[in-house]
Amino acid sequence: MSTPPTSDVDLFADDVVVDPYPAYAALRELGPVVRLPANDLYALTRYEVVRGALADWESFSSTSIAFNPAANEALTGTSLASDPPEHTRLRAALTENLTPRALRGLKGRIEAKADALVAELVDQGSFEAVDALARAFPLEVVADLIGFTGHVRTNMLRWGQAAMQVIGPMNRRTAENFPVAGELYAWCAQVTADDLAPGSVGRGIFEAEARGAVPGGTAGHIIHQYLGAGLDTTVAAIGNVVALFAEHPEQLDLVRADPSLVPAAFNEVLRHWPPVNAWGRRTTRDVVVDGLVVPAGAQVALLLGAGNRDPRHYDDPDAFLVARNPVDHLAFGYGPHGCAGQGLARLEAHAVIDALARRVRRLVVGPEVRVPANITRSIERLPVLEVVPA
Amino acid sequence: MKIVLDRPRCEGHGLCEEAAPQLMHLDEHGELVLDREELADTDASTAQAAVRVCPVAALRIA
Repeated sequence: MSTPPTSDVDLFADDVVVDPYPAYAALRELGPVVRLPANDLYALTRYEVVRGALADWESFSSTSIAFNPAANEALTGTSLASDPPEHTRLRAALTENLTPRALRGLKGRIEAKADALVAELVDQGSFEAVDALARAFPLEVVADLIGFTGHVRTNMLRWGQAAMQVIGPMNRRTAENFPVAGELYAWCAQVTADDLAPGSVGRGIFEAEARGAVPGGTAGHIIHQYLGAGLDTTVAAIGNVVALFAEHPEQLDLVRADPSLVPAAFNEVLRHWPPVNAWGRRTTRDVVVDGLVVPAGAQVALLLGAGNRDPRHYDDPDAFLVARNPVDHLAFGYGPHGCAGQGLARLEAHAVIDALARRVRRLVVGPEVRVPANITRSIERLPVLEVVPA
Repeated sequence: MKIVLDRPRCEGHGLCEEAAPQLMHLDEHGELVLDREELADTDASTAQAAVRVCPVAALRIA
């Protein structure tokens, strides 16, 4: 047993959050665990140790998933930030309306929406892919799902973005976004069934609370997590789909020739560019990780994006290859805290990829614009200059 | 050797069925059904693949 190596990398520096992969490669080579004094944490860098920590909730507590104490405090009492046994009950309430079986009725509607939107954009011939597709589509799906109307609908994107930003360390981005995340928090604390459209999943959560199927007082928390965790991430993923298919037309050709590759293509998009690259934990005791000691009570960063590029686990990890179908990628996390909304994310992304593969032969894009963000790594603007239709 | 399902943890993502269709399937309600809990040696690698892909770690081999 020995002490982890140290690096002067700052995980949340502007250049690192915009393109973390060179830093991740260096950290991974330095060791499976690296101490980062700049962020006062221990980073887990290689595939097997990241996956192992995600499964080991007894050693790696979720009470510190955020990288600043105020955000962890605000998340107290949510399934995201709790450990079993409390987590088990909260998770069941959160996922009751979010599991694939609960969402089966929505599949046809989501596919029809994606197809109509993609058809319209292909017709248009040029468009800004982030606003017109990556933001527009999940926004519509999530708004309809939860039953948001009026001013809430217009606030969803900025609230969702802020909710992810404030998971970061107490830097300028976090400080600027706390008031915006607070608007979402305040709205969720007072929202009632009547604010949500009849027949929506959101309304259903309040009905479940009224009949005792969901613990009293948790309906607002659940709505908060749907919005806070479910929107910004999906926006990032769909923007990444467009950018990666534009950059790798031969990979789009593979999916066009064999539509059964749609799920594989989404897995590869998530492996190659996970919407969330780093997520927190806190050690409950001294933990030995691959021979290196992480002391009790330490803040940990699980580098999902570094694990996804680990050559010990994936051949040629920096290449974007849909046929590798990396079903065990780390972008959704893994285990008891594995992304609760992954069923919905798959429905949305598969619908978009399927529509693109049927309707598009080639996308010609201009340069993508990226803006530094603490947690969600996404494209801010992506001009599609020309669509060659299928 | 057998497959053990942590039923409360299973959320019906169905990735295990894709990995091991001869061993398990989702029924018409989206609930996982283990078709063969007791495994032959020849099933071992398929069963391990199913355990590996479960995103919420609801399957294990005992």
